[in-house]
Amino acid sequence: MAAAAPPLKDELDIVIPTIRNLDFLEMWRPFFEPYHLIIVQDGDPTKTIGVPDGFDYELYNRNDINRILGPKASCISFKDSACRCFGYMVSKKKYIYTIDDDCFVANDPSGKQINALEQHIKNLLCPSTPHFFNTLYDPFREGSDFVRGYPFSLREGVPTAVSHGLWLNIPDYDAPTQLVKPRERNSTYVNAVLTIPKGTLFPMCGMNLGFDRELIGPAMYFGLMGDGQPIGRYDDMWAGWCIKVICDHLGLGVKTGLPYIWHSKASNPFVNLRKEYKGIFWQEEIIPFFQNATLSKDSTTVQKCYIELAKQVKDKLGKIDPYFLKLADAMETWIEAWDDLNPPTAK
Amino acid sequence: MSNISIKDDEVDIVIGALEPDLTYFLEEWRPVFSRFHLIIVKDPDLKGELKIPEGFNLNIYTKSDIDRVVGSSPISFSGYSCRYFGYLMSRKKYIISIDDDCIPARDSKGGLIDAVAQHITNLTTPATPFFFNTLYDPYCEGADFVRGYPFSLRTGVDCGLSSGLWLNLADYDAPTQALKPENRNSRYVDAVLTVPAGTMMPLSGINIGFNSELVGPALVPAFRLAKEGKFRWETVEDIWSGMCVKVVCDHLKLGVKSGKPYVWRKERGSAIESLKKEWEGVKLMEEVIPFFQSIRFSEEAKTAEDCVAEIASLVKEQLGPLNPMFARAADTTVEWIKLWKRVRAQ
Repeated sequence: MAAAAPPLKDELDIVIPTIRNLDFLEMWRPFFEPYHLIIVQDGDPTKTIGVPDGFDYELYNRNDINRILGPKASCISFKDSACRCFGYMVSKKKYIYTIDDDCFVANDPSGKQINALEQHIKNLLCPSTPHFFNTLYDPFREGSDFVRGYPFSLREGVPTAVSHGLWLNIPDYDAPTQLVKPRERNSTYVNAVLTIPKGTLFPMCGMNLGFDRELIGPAMYFGLMGDGQPIGRYDDMWAGWCIKVICDHLGLGVKTGLPYIWHSKASNPFVNLRKEYKGIFWQEEIIPFFQNATLSKDSTTVQKCYIELAKQVKDKLGKIDPYFLKLADAMETWIEAWDDLNPPTAK
Repeated sequence: MSNISIKDDEVDIVIGALEPDLTYFLEEWRPVFSRFHLIIVKDPDLKGELKIPEGFNLNIYTKSDIDRVVGSSPISFSGYSCRYFGYLMSRKKYIISIDDDCIPARDSKGGLIDAVAQHITNLTTPATPFFFNTLYDPYCEGADFVRGYPFSLRTGVDCGLSSGLWLNLADYDAPTQALKPENRNSRYVDAVLTVPAGTMMPLSGINIGFNSELVGPALVPAFRLAKEGKFRWETVEDIWSGMCVKVVCDHLKLGVKSGKPYVWRKERGSAIESLKKEWEGVKLMEEVIPFFQSIRFSEEAKTAEDCVAEIASLVKEQLGPLNPMFARAADTTVEWIKLWKRVRAQ
């Protein structure tokens, strides 16, 4: 009997940032092989990245990024996995799944291997419910539904822009927490997907993330991190706060929960502390900024929202550190580059 | 097993008896309930004597007690609303309430779930309503705040209410259950999470715990369907009071948690039969959502009582003109606060 074609086979790209050989793909082969990969090679462009046979991929190193974007390449981080957002920009597909190269296939409590990509696709293809919390979590999942008292007028939901997956084994902790709890492992499998309510921010981790590029892509800029920058490990956080404000404004949904992947590597907490240090303090001002950010009624597209947000970053966060002025400029450069590479198609 | 030492004498378990024979219910819960004081309130419409097994430390309230304490009042304690009388009479800090058609559930490893212990844990550990933690409850064993969670928000706030869930018969409304009569909730989600500030939720009264000192008066038996019935499919009393509790908690910077514990809810009643009843109140509930979402309390509202008084006048002013049911709900709320104060003063 012929198996059903992998869902969204020609509509989804898998974006992987890396500096080393992609042997981890062997474990993912049953789930990833039908899909096209976009590999963003960070660091030394002269190094050759080994990709297991049989995968269909395009690879971009720093030279390619510089060539394609010219001066606008300044907005793409170097020596940081934030460079992955270049992959979002060059993709021509509707959906993106991004995963770190130290993430492997996890097992569910029954011992079965989890097809993380399939779950992200399910999350993205069914609506979100940001306007009212459903106590049985995702009402569109098999075996679930809206509970008594859930307003009937809100049961259609809204389109899902982002699917945020989680991690078993090494949890995504910040450096101080890692230092205090070096042995803690996440072993609790929480069998839920839920929509993060409108008006609520969350820490978005880029390790296991799916999104609808057409709905939210231009807002998925992972900021200026790494080489020459005063901060690291806030790339996905920054993108997460921006996309949430924009999704809330445009009436789109963000889901979190399943699928789990197995996170195998704990990064060095001392190195992390040095990268995160400024962020820990800056965060205290950044969060109220995003919590209070409002976008004008005229910002009806993601790009317009993002440019408006960039201006607010410049005005309100610029006084914390000149880094934010640079970041605001980079946000605008990113949108220009995005529109260059993704011109609106004539209809 | 939680690390919190449960101060047994700070807890009341309030059970509304809608069926006279509580033997099976209490025997199933005995391992969990026996160390606590119970308040059993008999539905004033229920005929016949209550059957209660020996060995529990309890107070029973019936129609005559309700009449004696409350006197003549627009507040109805009929059906599921009878439990509010129990909340009124309790002097304990923590109140746990479970419907009388629920028994202990088992977790994914087959162990009996101590719903009371879990509610107490939820109520005595901080809530985190201002920022969502993707690993859910950061205070539970084996979890923590994730990278990117602001440090200044990691102390959390007090938890005012803990909303539990149900295996087997989930708390669906009648149309949903009637459409999917075979639908049973078999998914055990091993999490507790704080429902974010500013987000509304449907509070199911089937399995709850709350800090009566913090939010007691906010569980208001004010809004009922014209034909509010004896099956959960035919009620909205908890939905209304749940919205009151949530806006009060948001204003007072208290948390509301949802998730574990689960209870096992037995089959009872027919969703299709319930569908035949009048649904006037259900449509009205749709109209109150924007009202609750936009409630702003004054700076002077510093306690749950203050907030509930303001809800009453806002309901009267803004919703009263739309439908007499709302005007009645406002008056009932005012009476409830008077009653709450009077009983507490004794």
